[in-house]
Amino acid sequence: MATDQMLARRKLLNVAGAALAALSLATAPALARDTVKIAFIGPLTGGNSATGLGGRNSASLAVDLHNAKPDAKYTYELVPFDDECKPNVGVQVATKAASDKSIIAGITHYCSAVAIATVDTYNRFGLPVVVWGAVLPEITYGNDYKEIHRVNGTMINEGKMAAEFLTKQGFKTFVVIHDTTDYGKGQNKYFAENLKPQGGEILATFPVPPDQQDFTAELTKVKELKPDVVFIGGLTPLGVRVRSQMDRLGIPAQLAGVSGIMSAGFIEGAGPAAEGTVSFHNGAPLTKYADGKAFMDAYAKAGYREDPDAYGPFAFSAANLIMDAIEKAGPDRKKVRDILNTTKGYKALVGEINFDDHRQNIVSANVYVSQDGKWVYWPDSAYATGTKKLPGKAASN
Amino acid sequence: MSMADLAPSVPAQTARSGGLARLAVAATVALLFAGGGFLLHAEQQGQVIALLAAFVAVFALAEKVPVGRRIVGLCRAHPGTVNLTAAVSILAIAAALREEHYTLLMMATVALFATAAAGLTLQMAFAGVPNFAGAAFFAVGAYVAALLGNTGIPHLLVLLIAGLAAAVLGLVLLLPVLRTRGHYAALVTIAFGLLLRAFLEVNDVLGGPQGMKVKSFSLFGLDFSRMTEIGPYDVSFYLPYALASCALFGLAFFLVRRLETSFVGVALDAVRSDEVAASVFGLSIARWKATAFLLGNAMIGVAGALYGMMNGFVNPNSANFGDSLIMLSILVLGGLGNLWGAVVAAVVILVIPEKLQAIQEFRLVIFALLVIAILRFRPSGLMPRAARDFSALVKGGAK
Repeated sequence: MATDQMLARRKLLNVAGAALAALSLATAPALARDTVKIAFIGPLTGGNSATGLGGRNSASLAVDLHNAKPDAKYTYELVPFDDECKPNVGVQVATKAASDKSIIAGITHYCSAVAIATVDTYNRFGLPVVVWGAVLPEITYGNDYKEIHRVNGTMINEGKMAAEFLTKQGFKTFVVIHDTTDYGKGQNKYFAENLKPQGGEILATFPVPPDQQDFTAELTKVKELKPDVVFIGGLTPLGVRVRSQMDRLGIPAQLAGVSGIMSAGFIEGAGPAAEGTVSFHNGAPLTKYADGKAFMDAYAKAGYREDPDAYGPFAFSAANLIMDAIEKAGPDRKKVRDILNTTKGYKALVGEINFDDHRQNIVSANVYVSQDGKWVYWPDSAYATGTKKLPGKAASN
Repeated sequence: MSMADLAPSVPAQTARSGGLARLAVAATVALLFAGGGFLLHAEQQGQVIALLAAFVAVFALAEKVPVGRRIVGLCRAHPGTVNLTAAVSILAIAAALREEHYTLLMMATVALFATAAAGLTLQMAFAGVPNFAGAAFFAVGAYVAALLGNTGIPHLLVLLIAGLAAAVLGLVLLLPVLRTRGHYAALVTIAFGLLLRAFLEVNDVLGGPQGMKVKSFSLFGLDFSRMTEIGPYDVSFYLPYALASCALFGLAFFLVRRLETSFVGVALDAVRSDEVAASVFGLSIARWKATAFLLGNAMIGVAGALYGMMNGFVNPNSANFGDSLIMLSILVLGGLGNLWGAVVAAVVILVIPEKLQAIQEFRLVIFALLVIAILRFRPSGLMPRAARDFSALVKGGAK
């Protein structure tokens, strides 16, 4: 309801804005503002809709804030599309958005499978897009399409940070349990690649289907191998099961996992056993960003029903990046694309945005640890200051 | 129908009224297609709702008003005119919307899903063999296209091979499907779908969970995806795909209709309605079920191959159970056994959720309510299959 009303209100505002624009056109042409459309594409329905709606709200907040600026050259309108996290639906809505000439740029996709399926479409129609949530490296690195940009990091950043951090903590031997989806497989690949130069050793790797319930066979083997760390490449349910079954079998190793396990659900599911689990995520906590508080206040004030979720700040930053490019270049897809291509040192909510030669934002991941029933930013945690010891270290000492 | 029955007694009058009847049929069909074309293209919420209301009104008229019933009867009596008008209308729509990428993409999608539904019609509506793995066979076709697209084999042949591959893979299922009935046979196909998806996910040769890129379709050296103009006209590269998809559906339609009106169709109907009675009359149950199952899967595979080539990629997720259910709902919503019903239902299931994009997260709720409402008022589907009419045979015999 709230969004409905908001939409209605926004429509009214647009109409009012158009009327005002028409009026001012008659009196003082300098004040006239043209409307420029930007597409937002993400999963608004289905299992991933929490993230999708959070992203949409954040992007629409960015647009509303920008429109309220008195010195803005254009009035922006966000056109949201639902890709249902399905590649074929994604191609349909991408075609719809990209063939609509009034849409100048897009903030696109949370699901990697959809994002990788649609890159050809954007390239073919020449619609510049900024990916706000999908983490598959190939989306930017698997092609050389000038239209595709990405503000969030990839699995490569997470894997690299995980390898560096864990070896720096003095862990030497690792066992990897990952699921067989492209997410789990990719996480495994980039973790293993980065671990070798750091001097870590992988004793064994266990690929498991994402819905496997019982890990007794794998964990019995792990118990024999006595690794320092069990590394999880998968999502929360997998992490919870492995964590609690490790306890049952009495495996003292440190548990570390990719961003997929970094959720409130993991701590609820694993209970006290979750304490001291380490995870890696591309985003820093909102309070760590310079404008984080302002964003949260504005978000709360706008009255959205859903939380911004983990990737909302990225969608917000992508929207601002695009609007600032349009302010500079005007509503012209090619010019906007060229400006986006050369983005360097752009100040955004999620920190500085610098695109590399594949138009991928250079970010480094952050470390989090589960402490007293919460995920805590590592530098702020009792583990970093030394008051607490990681469970894996306590065991080896 | 009444016209057809009267026909032999007053030949002189028939010629004129026959012509008139044909004109009425052609006008009706053209009008319906024009409405469908507008619906595909309409963007404004008001237009979409008005068109939907108009369609509801047309359906109500056809059922409740004598003139409506009479026109429906005429349409049934003149299938040739209906089909010809439909083909001309589709060409006209394609020509009118030649530059609209998105509309043409949806048109091609509808045609390909309707082709798959034609395969399912053969299996489920005629032979009574349940198939809950439609999307799996569809994906098999697309994977074959991905594997063979680059090998230099002419793409028309690739489509055929994709159909063959789907049929051959269906062979694996044949024995369990023939030995089970009803819910159990349905479970067998569900299990097959899950199995295939798991196999594709762990198989790195076939791209693993990320799937494969599929080369675009080309016909006689003409790459469909690079086509941007025909003669003096600028066209969308989806135009050739839309036309090819419609042609494919036309072919499937022709085949299924011919089978239905031939002795094969009668045998399949007999096998479905009463296996014991059919076998007493000397029909081989296994043979007819197998024929329908393999032929149906082949048609689904061919449609899947063209769909994969149009979209440019395929991944294991496209073989999921939800998509199989979408194909089934097209079949059930349209009315089991009526291919025109399948076309209308494909529009409802595939296009309407896209038209509701403006209401964002609520659109699937509204869509579900719409489908439930349709089945509440038309429990046997939008356009149920007509009962076989043997009255002409009886009359001929009496003479």
